[in-house]
Amino acid sequence: MKSETLRKKILLYLVMVLITVITVGPFLITLFMGLKSPGEGIYDGILPQDPTMVNFTDAFEKAHFGTYFINTFLVTVLAVPLNLLFCSLAAYPLARMNFKGRGIALALIISTMMVPFQLYMAPLFQIAGELGLRNTHLGLVILQVATAFGIFLMRQAFLRVPKELEESAHLDGANKFQVWLLVALPLVKPTLITLAIYTFTFTWGDYLWPLLNTTESSMYTLSIGLAQLSQNFDGSNMKLISAASILTTIPTLIIFIWLQKYFVSGQTDGAVKG
Amino acid sequence: MENQPNIETQVKVTAAPKKKIGLMKIFTPWLFLLPAIVILTVFLVIPILEAFQWSLLDYKIIAGTGEFVGLENFKEIFSDDKFWQAFWNTILFLVIVLPLNIFLPMILAVLVNQAVKGVGVFRVLYYLPVVTPMVVAALMWKMLYSQSGVISEFLMWIGVFDKQSNLLVQSSTALTAVAMITVWKGLGYYMIMYLAGLQSIPKDVYESASIDGASSLQKFWKITVPMLIPSITLVSVLTIIGGLKVFEEIALTTGGGPAGATTTLVMYIYDKFNNLDVSIASAAGMVLLILAIGASLLQMKLTKQREDDLRT
Repeated sequence: MKSETLRKKILLYLVMVLITVITVGPFLITLFMGLKSPGEGIYDGILPQDPTMVNFTDAFEKAHFGTYFINTFLVTVLAVPLNLLFCSLAAYPLARMNFKGRGIALALIISTMMVPFQLYMAPLFQIAGELGLRNTHLGLVILQVATAFGIFLMRQAFLRVPKELEESAHLDGANKFQVWLLVALPLVKPTLITLAIYTFTFTWGDYLWPLLNTTESSMYTLSIGLAQLSQNFDGSNMKLISAASILTTIPTLIIFIWLQKYFVSGQTDGAVKG
Repeated sequence: MENQPNIETQVKVTAAPKKKIGLMKIFTPWLFLLPAIVILTVFLVIPILEAFQWSLLDYKIIAGTGEFVGLENFKEIFSDDKFWQAFWNTILFLVIVLPLNIFLPMILAVLVNQAVKGVGVFRVLYYLPVVTPMVVAALMWKMLYSQSGVISEFLMWIGVFDKQSNLLVQSSTALTAVAMITVWKGLGYYMIMYLAGLQSIPKDVYESASIDGASSLQKFWKITVPMLIPSITLVSVLTIIGGLKVFEEIALTTGGGPAGATTTLVMYIYDKFNNLDVSIASAAGMVLLILAIGASLLQMKLTKQREDDLRT
């Protein structure tokens, strides 16, 4: 009996390791490719024979990834706090106050969630141009400053917390804004973090909107810079593309490892995002 | 509503004259909503309404005007073979992805739900692709798929190919090859969804099945799968909604080729946009919207129950 369970355990680990090869393998192959030295053939084995950082430094020195990093960082740093602020503000009355038009506002916000970006990207492109947002950091942030998804997510969170604390704060003379800021928000902190993670990963990796709204290379984000670099997808460029891909992924990786329990806890708040 | 002072307004009575309370009560929620409403109106609602309008116009983006042409744009796309190719490619893409998205993450979830040491680490490792920027995922896989790349070598080694081949450049395999990128990217995401479902299955169901002498496989098919039906529907609908919008995996690997074999509706729209045929793009976008609404309505119907539970 005991050897039976042991055998099962070994089999389980074996299968789990095999799946890891599929999920993590591509990253390792890319990392090793990025570490290969200039003289090395790209398909001469997976491991680098003479590991070097030259492709990583080249990404910054020759391929302008420093600029792309700063652009992506600025856009993300603007998007995340604004998204949390405006979404949690808008979600609060939708969850907690009775007012005329609440039903319509809520229905409108939820219904926009199912509209594919590709339907309205052309009009948005034109509006961004008219407002002088083309080739600006602000222009890249507009999609994430307030999102229907974020409002929906925060509303669900506010609905879940008990009302009693907020009611007693009202009795103590606090106004609605104070109650939102000092009582309600701290109660939904886990959802705020979930939303921050979503906004971060989306903004950091977004490709289509920056592709439309940026024409000057000085405004490129990492995704655009990487896609541009990959236009020349041959052996001579593969190591640089690989190194740049790894560099682009590292910040998300850090956030992920730091906040992993919010990712893999089994919380399915974000289920609607799709 | 103004004449029914509740606890909140009674508190304010001491501080403010009575008339002001009514106004405050009306305005406060809208003050909370104002920033989001302004932003969403300008960058979401207006563009959507304009797209509706453009689909009925002969819109020239440079001139900024267009004549009303009724349903001409729709007639044009419906008589365009390339549109239908894109439409069926989109459907085919979903048909390839859907069963894989339903079963592979479920198996992963069952594995990492076992009470053994180190499953937490595996959960994290399986989730890694989800947080990877899509452009990076697409380029990594493009490299793996290349003529002398790992996948080609592997398929030769197991005897599928007799010479080095790139799955992305053959029209018979290209769509499946890009679909695999989508599946790989979503494994961890859907695994977490199944994990939540698994954790809601009471343990004693399994225990009594064990006493009755059921094997692990029997337990999986007779208990786990039926109990996961709500998760399966959720995963299916999300796969459809997400699959309709797939872009980077295709744009950066095949660009819609070879010979349109991987041109989906989104790629079709993107090409039309690039040619400044924005009215045609809008009409095709409407078709995409209708498909997305269909899938979303299904999800709403399925999640309404949960929503109602939360409200009380």
